[in-house]
Amino acid sequence: MQSNMFTDISLNHYLVLSSILFVIGMAGVLLRRNVIVILMSIELMLNAVNISFIAFSKYTQNVDGQIMVFFVMTIAAAEAAVGLALAVTIFKRFKEVNIKFFEHLRG
Amino acid sequence: MDHSILMAVLLLSPFVGFLINGVRYKQATYKISGGIATAAIFISFICSVLLFSELVGLPVDQRKIHVKFFEWLNVDKFKVDAAFYVDQISAIMILIITGVGTLIHMFSTEYMHHDKGVTKYFAYLNLFVFNMLILVLGDSLLTMFVGWEGVGLCSYLLIGFWFTDKDKAAAGMKAFITNRVGDAAFLLGMFVLFSTFGTLNIQEINAMAPTVAETSWMGALTMGTMFLFVGATGKSAQIPLYVWLPDAMAGPTPVSALIHAATMVTAGIYMIVRLNPIFIMTPNTMLVIAIVGALTALMAASIGITQWDIKKVLAYSTVSQLGYMFLAVGVGAFGAGLFHLMTHAFFKALMFLGSGSVIHAMHEEQDIRKMGGLKKYMPITHWTFFLGWVAIIGIPPFAGFFSKDEILWMSFHSPMGHPVLWAIGALSAGMTAFYMTRLMCLTFWGKSRVPKTVHPHESPALMTIPLIVLAVLSVVGGWIGIPEVIGHTFGHIPNYLMEWLHPVLKPIPNLTEAEHSLEWGLMGASVGIASISAFIAYHFYVKSPEIPGKIANSIKPLYELVFKKYLVDELYFKTIINPLIELSRKVWFYVDVNFIDKITYVIADLIKGGGGVTRSLQTGNVQIYAMYIAIGLVVALSIIIIK
Amino acid sequence: MTSDVFLFWFLALLIIGSGLAVLLFTNPIYSALSLAMTMVGVAAVFITLQAFFIAGVQLIVYAGAVMVLFVMVLMLFDIKAEVQAFSSGKISGAIKLISVGLLSGLIVGGIIMSQKSFVGEMTKDAVHMAEIQKLKKSTSPDASSKELGMVLFSKHIFGFEALGVLLTVIAVGTVALARSRGGTHHAK
Repeated sequence: MQSNMFTDISLNHYLVLSSILFVIGMAGVLLRRNVIVILMSIELMLNAVNISFIAFSKYTQNVDGQIMVFFVMTIAAAEAAVGLALAVTIFKRFKEVNIKFFEHLRG
Repeated sequence: MDHSILMAVLLLSPFVGFLINGVRYKQATYKISGGIATAAIFISFICSVLLFSELVGLPVDQRKIHVKFFEWLNVDKFKVDAAFYVDQISAIMILIITGVGTLIHMFSTEYMHHDKGVTKYFAYLNLFVFNMLILVLGDSLLTMFVGWEGVGLCSYLLIGFWFTDKDKAAAGMKAFITNRVGDAAFLLGMFVLFSTFGTLNIQEINAMAPTVAETSWMGALTMGTMFLFVGATGKSAQIPLYVWLPDAMAGPTPVSALIHAATMVTAGIYMIVRLNPIFIMTPNTMLVIAIVGALTALMAASIGITQWDIKKVLAYSTVSQLGYMFLAVGVGAFGAGLFHLMTHAFFKALMFLGSGSVIHAMHEEQDIRKMGGLKKYMPITHWTFFLGWVAIIGIPPFAGFFSKDEILWMSFHSPMGHPVLWAIGALSAGMTAFYMTRLMCLTFWGKSRVPKTVHPHESPALMTIPLIVLAVLSVVGGWIGIPEVIGHTFGHIPNYLMEWLHPVLKPIPNLTEAEHSLEWGLMGASVGIASISAFIAYHFYVKSPEIPGKIANSIKPLYELVFKKYLVDELYFKTIINPLIELSRKVWFYVDVNFIDKITYVIADLIKGGGGVTRSLQTGNVQIYAMYIAIGLVVALSIIIIK
Repeated sequence: MTSDVFLFWFLALLIIGSGLAVLLFTNPIYSALSLAMTMVGVAAVFITLQAFFIAGVQLIVYAGAVMVLFVMVLMLFDIKAEVQAFSSGKISGAIKLISVGLLSGLIVGGIIMSQKSFVGEMTKDAVHMAEIQKLKKSTSPDASSKELGMVLFSKHIFGFEALGVLLTVIAVGTVALARSRGGTHHAK
């Protein structure tokens, strides 16, 4: 593949973009302490996956990838709703959203 | 209507009743529960009548309605269908079960209305009828066994119905465990028959029955029938497994009437009659059956003389009458056995319900020493009980006379019988007359010994109607089986029952024509014995009540032995039960506590230690867990890429 | 450098920048706004990939509904900038960063190593030839949405219905959760 990396936009570009976004989201999940920010980072990861799905869909000319994205989005919305409801419940109970206070399941 | 629908309704109606009452078991509205249960059995009764009339409409040699619902088991050569069939024998049984069952359900509605668990009670009762119908109608021994176990379960549940009373719960367990012994033998019998015939289908077995009698004691057929008979002794309370039935009186009285007098305990006789073609070909088994039956009749009757509990007397009477039935089938008179089964169902159910009525009136008092003179307080109960009494002691022309006399005559006349068997039978008939008259005298006649605090009263209509119906049946029930010798004298009255049963019963081999004078003579003798002993009993317990005590004192050791039921319970405890308990205790201590438990403790400790180590990984911090996931991801990806 | 190429680089930088902002802002409100910007960027990427319908859904569901939900919850909590926004623990923090870095390296490495014509193989798949032909002809937004709808309501109808059930359950569950007094632990 003799082509200019900067001018020829191929599937790989999208996949790399997707993976970088995914890793950023993952870092957020691992490092942030605010429950809500963790939820946001999860949304980032899901979006990253969506990008790769759409890219594959475009480059393989297969519409199934878009369907999958559609499903992922629905699930993500549902997950966000449940996650936030949990966050609200936790906040009501402990007046706190910092995850370091929730270590009740310590073995 | 289609036969299969009729059959399905017949079987499922009690089951649906059981489901309905079983679901609403906490309700205490006795009218609704009793109504549902009675209606369920009544529907079955109507179906039975319809099936019976269909059967009558068929030609004599094709009287059989067979319905196959689905294939139940199909393993290699072992095939069992969920199929049921009505023939001449089972038609009589389903009529008895559902007919008497309906009356007893009706009676129960009133009898149990104080009880908190009345709905549960009716659920059990309906389940019992369902299982009994399966037992009776099943077309293979395995189907029969399902019902056989089912009725055993219901019997256990109902004997121990008032399970908060420790003795009653124990009585339930005794019945269950004793029945287990018999059931194990029944299973063995099925195995033997299956290995001999290659099928468990009753009709096929009957068709394959050999034409030559098997005379060896260890032959396959003899073994099989012998095992089946041991099974029957468990369910039908014969020596040696009869001990549970007297204790089973701990259950509610209508239960004693339905299960422990009219239907379930006759299952053993029914089973033998249904398999009569193979039983008749094993004379050794037949001999054992006849001897066991006769001895049981004699022994139970003698115990019955000494008992003071109204239901215990009736219970021993039941055991004794069941002995008669076994005597009948043992000498090859299957028809007579079935005949006595039917009349006994009528008059014994009547007497149990009558005793229930008395107990109800006496506020749960069962000791006949505290009764007496109840005739004027409860006239209907007295008169119906009176009819049951004349029926059971065998006074012509009441039902018991015909069936009992048929049995006695056959035990004398049949080539498989013997004059000794006749003598034992006649002696127990005399004893039966004695203890039944004693019961009558002490309960209804003579001076009242009722405590001042109790005011006996006649039972309400819901209880007396079943009594009246059963009393009528006890009077006329015998007329369908009038023996040839009497029928001949009174202008050729046919013996309807024997004609009806003729196609399905194998005749007794080498049966000769008998002299009519001899038959008349024996008949007269048995009626004479019964009347005399009834008269003696009347004299003892009404005219001069001090005599029995004196006699009992003069033969005290014997009396004590009989009163304590020949110490059979004690014997069983000493030789079987206590050693078994001792053994179990040792096994428990050495095998369970010291071996199995220790192994599990060691394993548990190991796992606990391992858990303690891995527990430190469980920090409770979700982000650390996420980190584990990330590390896992990195490792997995590295492996894939490096490859 | 054509406009397409320019657009891609621009959007890529935007997405990565705003994604990093989500991670780095200590005030959750700023994080939420950065997330919204990321969503919009992703929607724009979808458009460049001719997935117009999905792009619309992305804008409406994510940038609209979900983000509003986040912001609402944040307002409900009334949270200021946090004192300890990041987890402390030096060793575990280091491990986390290393594993994240390694992961990104591995993925990118993996993508570049699998340069072989993955796409070419896929297009040979005879099953999809008809679809591809249609898609190639139809580049207008309407046509691709129509195509999506056809497939969604025929081939994937079961998943679609299952999602409906899931959403119902989630709706009920969320209300129940939010109303509950919260778990078995009693507040001090």
